[in-house]
Amino acid sequence: MQIALYGLMCVLLIPFVFPTWWMLTSSVKPISDIFAFPPDLWPRRFDWTTYAKVFELQPFGQQYWNSAYIAAIVTAGTMIFSSMAGYAFARIKFPGSNFLFTVVLLGLLIPSEVTIVPLFQMFLGWGMINTHWPLILVPIFGAPSVFATFVMRQFFIALPGELEEAARVDGLGRFKIFWIIALPLAKPALGAVAIFTFLHSWNLYLEPIVFISSRNMFTLPQALTQFTDAYGGAMWNIQMAAATMTALPVLAVFIIAQKQFVEGLAHTGLKG
Amino acid sequence: MAPVTLHHVKKNYGDVAVIHGVDIDIADGEFVVLVGPSGCGKSTLLRMIAGLETISDGEVSIGARVVNDLDPKDRDIAMVFQNYALYPHMTVATNMGFSLEHRGASKAEIAERVKWAADILGLVPLLDRYPRQLSGGQRQRVAMGRAIVRNPQVFLFDEPLSNLDAKLRVVMRGEIKSLHQRLGVTTVYVTHDQVEAMTMADKIVVMNGGKVEQIGKPLDLYDRPANQFVAGFIGSPAMNFVGGKITPNGFEAAGTTLPLPAGVTGGNAVYGIRPEHFELATDGLPATVLLVEPMGSETQVTMTLSEHKVIGVFRERVQAQSGSTITVRPNLAHVHLFDAATGSRIN
Amino acid sequence: MTTATTPRKRPFWTIERRDAIAGYTFVAPQLIGTVVFVLIPLGLVFWYSLHEWNVLANSFNFVGDANYQLLLRDPQLPRVLTASAIFSAGLAVLNMSLALLLAVLLDQKLRGIVVFRTLFFSPVVVSLVAWTIVWSFLLQNNGGINGFLQMIGIQGPNWLREPGTAMVSVIVVQVFKNVGLNMILFLAALQGVPKELYEAARVDGASAWKQFRRITVPMISPTILLTSIITIVGSLQVFAQIAVLTQGGPGVSTTVLVYYLYQQAFQFHYFGYGSTLSILLFLIVAVLTFVQWQLRKRIVFYEN
Repeated sequence: MQIALYGLMCVLLIPFVFPTWWMLTSSVKPISDIFAFPPDLWPRRFDWTTYAKVFELQPFGQQYWNSAYIAAIVTAGTMIFSSMAGYAFARIKFPGSNFLFTVVLLGLLIPSEVTIVPLFQMFLGWGMINTHWPLILVPIFGAPSVFATFVMRQFFIALPGELEEAARVDGLGRFKIFWIIALPLAKPALGAVAIFTFLHSWNLYLEPIVFISSRNMFTLPQALTQFTDAYGGAMWNIQMAAATMTALPVLAVFIIAQKQFVEGLAHTGLKG
Repeated sequence: MAPVTLHHVKKNYGDVAVIHGVDIDIADGEFVVLVGPSGCGKSTLLRMIAGLETISDGEVSIGARVVNDLDPKDRDIAMVFQNYALYPHMTVATNMGFSLEHRGASKAEIAERVKWAADILGLVPLLDRYPRQLSGGQRQRVAMGRAIVRNPQVFLFDEPLSNLDAKLRVVMRGEIKSLHQRLGVTTVYVTHDQVEAMTMADKIVVMNGGKVEQIGKPLDLYDRPANQFVAGFIGSPAMNFVGGKITPNGFEAAGTTLPLPAGVTGGNAVYGIRPEHFELATDGLPATVLLVEPMGSETQVTMTLSEHKVIGVFRERVQAQSGSTITVRPNLAHVHLFDAATGSRIN
Repeated sequence: MTTATTPRKRPFWTIERRDAIAGYTFVAPQLIGTVVFVLIPLGLVFWYSLHEWNVLANSFNFVGDANYQLLLRDPQLPRVLTASAIFSAGLAVLNMSLALLLAVLLDQKLRGIVVFRTLFFSPVVVSLVAWTIVWSFLLQNNGGINGFLQMIGIQGPNWLREPGTAMVSVIVVQVFKNVGLNMILFLAALQGVPKELYEAARVDGASAWKQFRRITVPMISPTILLTSIITIVGSLQVFAQIAVLTQGGPGVSTTVLVYYLYQQAFQFHYFGYGSTLSILLFLIVAVLTFVQWQLRKRIVFYEN
């Protein structure tokens, strides 16, 4: 019975694991072996120059940096703004808070795919086309951050009110209560928001191809599709090397911290 | 240390009044217990003293200052919450030193005060633990430690023992009381448990429906409750009440006539007698026994006088079967009479 | 001069006022950002949809509902909506059933189960475009999948270039990428079912299958319902996969609404008509999200 279960799971694993394996091994195959028959599960010859060529064909280091710093700013910004707004909507009584919360929640109904045309016009008007501003501003304030605000609000609603009252008696003002008491206790929710925001920014594709046109400004998803020869044919082994470099760091972080990852996301999904 | 004065204090939520003008004077160093059934407004009143609820009308003073518009932090009070409200992400020591830290005390000063409080409460071995690693009683002690560290003018307790089991509650009751005797800080303590109120208070404030029913020393409230509500609330098992009419022959209730103390006059009234003020007497009133509960030191008997169900507590060991008849007599020195319409005391 | 008889003057900065200021300050960045980058653009997209606007010809004329008339007459649109519907429905069905199967498997008490969980989940954290490119590579006519098929004597189709298989391929690639998320949600739901229910059922003599049908499924049905709507709403926003794998082809067989919108606006520069398509997309997302909220309200009500 147990053996059967293990066997079933191993078969099911193939489409989940094999593509990553194929990406890794193909990235070090010489171009002549790429479509070899029968297919090689282990490269018959190794060609490590593919990794160097990634950087020759594209300003890949720059593009890597672009994606990394944009994702970092988007993640940090979303964590700050969504936790502040989520906290206020959950715990501070102020006139109009329900109405304003509804206004913010409307953002959930409107993915950036819907508003991409006017967003393009707005950023064109502000001279921000072919800059990274749209890739930072739209996710920080768009539907994903609204979802994050919602997640944070749900978390803060469940926070015991006595803790805040104790803090008030102990001499803390609103901002310090938020910063010293509420936020440190919100670490699980913040972690989930961080993971999910980072992945969203890291995977962003429509916005870059709409807003960014020069290679130096490209982000990784955009850059990955650019490894083609003079005739437009894909240079698969180099592309696989670039894909490997894009995928591997996040995958490594995930495997190290998989418990927090999985539990954090389960938490978000259930509460949100 | 400071006296606390409440003067015509009111609280409204919109159009709904929950506190209807309360006056209480609390002397310097006094231990005052606010007691009443849930929803009577006692916690709201405490939170108004703390500054956690706004004051709709009237004045709250601590010492010489009117504190209505002061933040909790500026009132120089410390509060112990029902669920202790310990910061889960801080150690016991940090929890206790937290308020000093945010009032700009030096590290050395904080350490010294925390050490002092931990010594008093026996918390020294726990200082590096987190709240989740503590038992209920230990958390309770940390909450008290956090309150005394700052040496405030007033301690406020909001049902601090309600989450402890019965045995621990008795222990902590004693600890809070001896802490008060040691530090002598003015204390306002909220509870719904009249036993806590009786055993701990210098002065009890009985509240009901947003109003003060009576203020007084525990035994004064017990011996001379101002009205039927206080009489029924204070004391366990509760005072027996029989409705009827005061006549020259005695107190006429349906089917029976109860003896009255000399010199009482009036009309329709409620006759109150505590269970321990029934005596077994051969010339007493016949009562039908419903239930006999021997406690060892005393015996509690549920019985009916004609159609009125009453409870008696006797030092003697009553040997009676359910359904049998015994004869009992109310101790006339301890009979309470209340106006049937207003509930106020008559005698 | 104040005297003892004057009523106390309340300070202007009461606790309520300070709290209100704090509240507005805290929500301001998110609120202003959402208004500027979401709500105003939504208004603009509606405004644009009332115009004939060709960027290349530099024309911007008010045309009333002409774009909406065009929408109704657009011979491509029914095919695009059909492709969208097939994509979303296929994705949802496949995703939900696979997620449920995996969750049930992972819920077994087996040694090393966490390793399996990690591996099944891992595509979620692989860069979307990297994952899609690898599959594109695998699904080439002479690519890895057909290579392996040939080894067992099967001549595989040109997956991404044949109308029959292109849509299936796109769906499958997306399912394997993201099924881990729903799997985790289901797993959490499964583990939230009180063990006593199973024990009671065992005492009553219910078989494993019966326990699954009569206890597990009803108990996790709120999660199934909500995740299926979330999955469908998410499937409406799928763009990169289509762009990388098929560019909407062959023909328009994999041109889903978002991809069509992108083509009209940014490849053919019909901003007016592109905006009209955006409004259509918005309405579909809004209706589905509304349904989701209504369900959630009810379910939360039941749960409490």
